[in-house]
Amino acid sequence: MDVTVIAETSGGGLHPVTAQLVGAAASIGGTPTVLCAGGTGATEAASISGVVKVISVVGDCFETFDSGAWAKALNSVTGGDVIIAAASPSGREIAATMAAIRGIPIVQDATDLAPGISVTRPIYSGKAIETSTVTTPCAITLRANAFESAGEGGSAEVSTVNQSADVAVAVREAIAKASERLDVAEADIIISGGRGMGDPANFSHLNEISDMIGAAVGASRAAVDTWEEIPHGMQVGQTGKTVTPSLYIAVGISGAIQHLAGMRTSKYIVAINKDPDAPIFGVADYGIVATWEAALPALKEELGKL
Amino acid sequence: MGIAVLLKQVPDTTAKISVSGGRVDESAVSKWSMSPYDEYALESALQLKESGGGDLVAITCGPARAVKMLTDAAAVGADSLIHILVEDLSALDSTQVQAILAAAVAHSGSDIVFCGKQAADTNAGSTGPGVAHLMDASCVTMVSEVTPDGGSLMAMRASPNGNERVSVSAPCVFAFDKGIIELRRPNVRGIMMAKKKVAETLGPADLGVDISTSSVSIVGHTPPPQKPPGQKFEGADSVAAVVSKLRDEANVI
Amino acid sequence: MAYEALDFYDIDSLLTDEERMVRDMVRDWVDEKILPNIEKACRDGVFPDEWRVDLGEMGILGAPLKGYGCPGLSYIAYGLICQELERGDSGVRSFASVQGSLAMYPIWDFGSEEQKNHYLPKMTTGEWIGCFGLTEPDYGSNPGDMITRAEDKGDHYLLNGAKMWITNGTIADLAVVWAKLDGVIRGFIVEKNDPGFTAPEMTGKHSLKASVTSELVFQDCKIPKDRMLPHVKGLKGPFSCLNNARFGISWGAVGAAQSCFNSAREYALSRIQFDHPIASFQLVQNKLAWMLREITKAQLLAYHLGKKKDEGTWIPEHISLAKMNNVDIALEIARMARDIHGANGILDEYPVMRHMANLESVKTYEGTHDIHNLILGRHITGIQAFTRES
Repeated sequence: MDVTVIAETSGGGLHPVTAQLVGAAASIGGTPTVLCAGGTGATEAASISGVVKVISVVGDCFETFDSGAWAKALNSVTGGDVIIAAASPSGREIAATMAAIRGIPIVQDATDLAPGISVTRPIYSGKAIETSTVTTPCAITLRANAFESAGEGGSAEVSTVNQSADVAVAVREAIAKASERLDVAEADIIISGGRGMGDPANFSHLNEISDMIGAAVGASRAAVDTWEEIPHGMQVGQTGKTVTPSLYIAVGISGAIQHLAGMRTSKYIVAINKDPDAPIFGVADYGIVATWEAALPALKEELGKL
Repeated sequence: MGIAVLLKQVPDTTAKISVSGGRVDESAVSKWSMSPYDEYALESALQLKESGGGDLVAITCGPARAVKMLTDAAAVGADSLIHILVEDLSALDSTQVQAILAAAVAHSGSDIVFCGKQAADTNAGSTGPGVAHLMDASCVTMVSEVTPDGGSLMAMRASPNGNERVSVSAPCVFAFDKGIIELRRPNVRGIMMAKKKVAETLGPADLGVDISTSSVSIVGHTPPPQKPPGQKFEGADSVAAVVSKLRDEANVI
Repeated sequence: MAYEALDFYDIDSLLTDEERMVRDMVRDWVDEKILPNIEKACRDGVFPDEWRVDLGEMGILGAPLKGYGCPGLSYIAYGLICQELERGDSGVRSFASVQGSLAMYPIWDFGSEEQKNHYLPKMTTGEWIGCFGLTEPDYGSNPGDMITRAEDKGDHYLLNGAKMWITNGTIADLAVVWAKLDGVIRGFIVEKNDPGFTAPEMTGKHSLKASVTSELVFQDCKIPKDRMLPHVKGLKGPFSCLNNARFGISWGAVGAAQSCFNSAREYALSRIQFDHPIASFQLVQNKLAWMLREITKAQLLAYHLGKKKDEGTWIPEHISLAKMNNVDIALEIARMARDIHGANGILDEYPVMRHMANLESVKTYEGTHDIHNLILGRHITGIQAFTRES
């Protein structure tokens, strides 16, 4: 079975998830050909174990992101039974467009594959898991970190194809990322501080971590009531916002029932508190008994390695 | 020019999902709502319409209950409504859904299409790009705002370094992320007007789309795996272990 | 979590699409604008002006009135609006009740064509706020003996007297004031800048803290002749207004009770004592079951009364029963919910103590609980028991 893997890139190089796409392709008995849009990451892709071929697709259209043009250019250089891409915004979009061009079905956001092809994916934001079978030819996008990476040590042949397509999207202005903080009600990751932070100035540590992982910074009512520097808009809990992020990190928050009411339905909860008997540990998936002064620098360091 | 907005009715994001007999039990869903990204698409489409852009048609594909959502769209200003009646949307594959929606857009005579970047049930995100291809239209996703720009349209979209303004011409599809725009609230006048706007109900066959065989068949649904009981670690040295669990077990960072 | 209103008997299925949409619109607004801000408003003792603007923009003021720019909704829709507003806070519902049923309604029903055209379009949009002056410091349940007088001075009327417990008084642009002209009760429209009229705010309330309550003072207050409501004389005027307001209260009380029930249920499920959620204990379940039972009964009363209002087959005693019963059980539910919350129930983290304090006022205003019993007693026996004279 020929599998076309759309390489995922980041910052001018290959994104590590690409090796997971290759690993998943092999797991369903596929022989993977990797397509590198605009040639990005081709050399690195060739060294992934199991890759039979890398096609570096170069053309003017890859100067501007236009999924229609990219998909047309990529589509014309390869056939294959299955298209596999990362379930990133661009991966989903390019794969969906290629599927539409070919008139084949696409299943997005898979977390497991089995020969057949059987696809498992979370639906309703993870409140249920769906398993379906899809006939080939088809396209599938895969969630990051859900599949084993293929190893290194491959030495696939890299061919370069000049192929462009008409770009219909013109970039007029780039706007740098606003430094404005995410609202806790909107964020997928929240790091909150309580009165255990000792001083509102110490929330700067939470801000630094939030910048690293795209999180919002929240607070307990005790912190909001004690320090006027911490605005009510940050408050999570009964009289603050009710939040359901994927990850909620509570730092120096004891876990009063009013705070738990606002965050206990978060998918994963990490609690950092120096009091081993704090009620917050009762709802935490991962509890760390430590002072914030000790835990936050370590957290910064570990997140920096990701 | 005509503007269409593609809407999907989904279980409210706060609703409980229960599985019975190997399938998600839709009858147990306490509240059905317009998919949140679609709300931003609708708002932006209304703003474009009000800046002189012609009529706005709201289109949905789904079971009978989805009409209520179209009426909600009419209450905030959609001019006409098209409902493609499909009792079990999950039985269709992506090519069929896209073919139905693209045919409905053509039926409405629209050449500018707004939709959510993904619907809050399957969170797939295939519809916008797929419909764009079938319409031979350009597609911009992760959009937060659309404004008229002379004869063409200017969209704000997310980019790896922040945002960028891009210009496109009709025919085009805008797939919306959560916007920077504020959603409008209906009012009594709009609700009274919505009563008079009756949805045009069509079947896939009326649009020339065959849904008899799907390439995807659902084997079953299961509740998410039970999380392991909470684990407690002593000391800041354990941070590294927790971070790797968050990445590999929980898959949240 | 999205608010899920208790609806055990699926009253929802009896509503028209229009009624449901209006209900959802107000419910969303309460979630978005009232609940995050109500505690601050109560603490500051203010009714934020933004709420007035929003209520006007939604187009729900004077809900059941037709024409003159008014919404023209069903009485059931009006009831649902009150239910949702009072789920937020009785003070917000009071604002809407007074504007629609007590200030707009008498102009709509008893006013001249000129008065209707002049006042109603601006009142339904919330641009002008109205209030209603009936109760006096010494005449509450017995308004027929009111002291406030109007004198015909040829080219104008002169008002003297004082009204008390007037919702919206200080922030009102106009007041519908009931006063005796030659011994007969008549309605007058007094505007805020009329000479001799002041509306000082009453402070120190432990209830309805986000609602403005005032005195209206008339000292040789001079108003033009065209400000008298031409088409009503006697207590029938104010009592017709009160019927509509009491109707809204019977629904509003359901909203407050639903809010208390919700909070109590959620709290009981999450509060662990003796190693188990307190919701698993029989005494707590008994309380929750009682709340559900009474709320369901109250919903059915309110709904059927709404039907009768829309069909025009109601009598005032029907409204007395619903107002009396529904406020009574709402107050009891609020107290019981406070009890389930334990010490946490006294905190402003939860809505229960606020509703409880509000409902003490609601039980008293618009005809006290006991007066409604006497109205029903008179209906049953044919004998009035308000006064010792026959």
